[in-house]
Amino acid sequence: MSSTITSGSSTAASGRSLLVRVLIPVLGLFWLAVTTLPFIFVTMTSLKSQQETFVTSGWSLPQSLNFENYLAVLNGGFWTYLRNSVFVLVLSIVLIIVISSMAAYAFARLRFRLNKPLFGLIVAGMIVPIHITLIPIYLLTRNIGLYDTPFALIGPYVATALPVSIFILTEFMRQIPKELEEAAKLDGCGTFGVFWKVFLPLSGPGLSTVAIYNGIGLWNEFIFAYVLTSTPAYRTLPLAIWDFQGQYASNIPAILTVVTLTSLPLIVAYAFGQERIVKGMMAGALKG
Amino acid sequence: MTSISLRNIQKTFGKDTQVIKDVNLDIADGEFCVFLGPSGCGKSTLLRMVAGIEDVTAGELRIGNVRMNEVPAAKRQVAMVFQSYALYPHMSVYENMAFGLRQAKVDKAEIDLRVREAAQILQLDPLLERMPRALSGGQRQRVAIGRAIVRSPNVFLFDEPLSNLDAALRVHMRAEISRLHKKFNHASAIYVTHDQTEAMAMADKIVLLRAGTDMSKYGSVAQIGTPMDLYHRPSNRFVAEFLGSPRMNFLAASIEGSKESGLTLRLMSGETLNVPFLDRGIKTGTTVTLGIRPEHMYPVSANTPDCRLTRPVRQVERFGEYSYVYLNGDSSDTLIAKVSGDCYANSSEAMSLGFDPQNCHVFDEEGLALPRIGAANSSR
Repeated sequence: MSSTITSGSSTAASGRSLLVRVLIPVLGLFWLAVTTLPFIFVTMTSLKSQQETFVTSGWSLPQSLNFENYLAVLNGGFWTYLRNSVFVLVLSIVLIIVISSMAAYAFARLRFRLNKPLFGLIVAGMIVPIHITLIPIYLLTRNIGLYDTPFALIGPYVATALPVSIFILTEFMRQIPKELEEAAKLDGCGTFGVFWKVFLPLSGPGLSTVAIYNGIGLWNEFIFAYVLTSTPAYRTLPLAIWDFQGQYASNIPAILTVVTLTSLPLIVAYAFGQERIVKGMMAGALKG
Repeated sequence: MTSISLRNIQKTFGKDTQVIKDVNLDIADGEFCVFLGPSGCGKSTLLRMVAGIEDVTAGELRIGNVRMNEVPAAKRQVAMVFQSYALYPHMSVYENMAFGLRQAKVDKAEIDLRVREAAQILQLDPLLERMPRALSGGQRQRVAIGRAIVRSPNVFLFDEPLSNLDAALRVHMRAEISRLHKKFNHASAIYVTHDQTEAMAMADKIVLLRAGTDMSKYGSVAQIGTPMDLYHRPSNRFVAEFLGSPRMNFLAASIEGSKESGLTLRLMSGETLNVPFLDRGIKTGTTVTLGIRPEHMYPVSANTPDCRLTRPVRQVERFGEYSYVYLNGDSSDTLIAKVSGDCYANSSEAMSLGFDPQNCHVFDEEGLALPRIGAANSSR
């Protein structure tokens, strides 16, 4: 009897394991297709001439490797857009990290009356769609004289990134043992000293996560850049596609060339930083 | 002067969760004081109050005769060794040890000298450039101690520093800490532990703390004294029960009579015995508790005139050098006797155990020790 039960349960277990062995690779391949096929399509199309895109199937391979689109994009305003993007991104990320890490330390470690309500309010900021803030931000930017300047985008970028950044870093800093803070206090650190000399260095993985996560979002950000800048000299990379978009026609291969070039830095950053992103996102989920 | 004085110290969390009540304590210059007690008795909280990382709700704390209640931790000239070591993971052993001195803006050459000197004492020289994650538990503990030593504090505070180490390393580090304290004998030390062996082995003075309703009723401190004081002259039943392994045997008894030479007690089993204690005004017939430590009992023949108890043996545990004999108690409790390893007792046979009345303890209904004839009266 017992052997029947054992063999029955082992059959069920092997059935489950077979299902897992088949299902997981199938789902994995499906997800790989979802994420890589658009990129393959974009890259292939960027290597076609405009004429070729009209006469061949969208998924056909380029008849020859045609780098004319790349030359056209690189010889146009691309470098100006790139410079603007890098400027806006670096300044925004620095501000996001400085402000969010200080706020996170306060929420994670300091005892004050409105700690929990304030943290709740900031986290609630994550659910506000940025599109409903567009008009007020546009009016505010114009009124303070920042419209169509290199600094127009930095305020909104930092503000919209803070809730999720504070959330990630607060959870990260809560995992840092309290004894380290106490040891630092006994060693002579004040509140800022504890933050600067102990918490900030120990939050490296969390800070990287915040930097990479926001970096990806801001690098691709389109709508604020579109609304708050108008001169090509101050526009960022996602707006470079407008150079190849006319009122009556679009140069699809050139637009996709811009998209390919814009994606390249992100792909490189993700390739090197993915471990940190995953680590940061998982911080606190498992007992260390 | 690095004496420490605590006067009427209280600690309450929130509105009404009291964890420390009425602690009055003096720790002399260079003294090694151990806070001992069960979980939740507030021994770590009391230590953290001395360190300055926990506020004092009421009372006065003085270090070196200076009031410290409002002085921040960094300015109290204390160094603490944490249970979890609390080494900064992003700093090397050298940087960990130098951190406090750098905060105090000590000259670079002086920092180097002091770190290397401490490293030499603790045999950490080859590990100075390593990160804490590359060290074993014992090495981390030594770094934590080194970090405390380099600052030349007035007071060393140890919060269960050995509880994460294995048994052999604990014994080694216990001796090491005692040795270091003697070497730096200008500084007082407070050591928190729940391990009575550590407390007995290391302390000049033990402060035994209690928790729960007894704390609310009588205050946090159960007894303060030298290890031998607490072991031989417990002032109440809690202290008698907490110190000693196996714990003290307790037998219910009633007072049959009181003379100048002592009390006559009648046990529940009908045996009577004379013990050298004063009745402190307790009337004849009142119930008291007789306490005898397992190591103070020895096998005797059934017709010996000594004080003796004869009970059926329930179980025998043999450890070679000695054996524990478990006997039926008068109530549901078991009596334990620690006897020589070559004493053979068999389960279910009756065994007679003698004891010296001088080694007995008698507690009143409240659990207070009755005064021993010829000894100074101990108070609660």
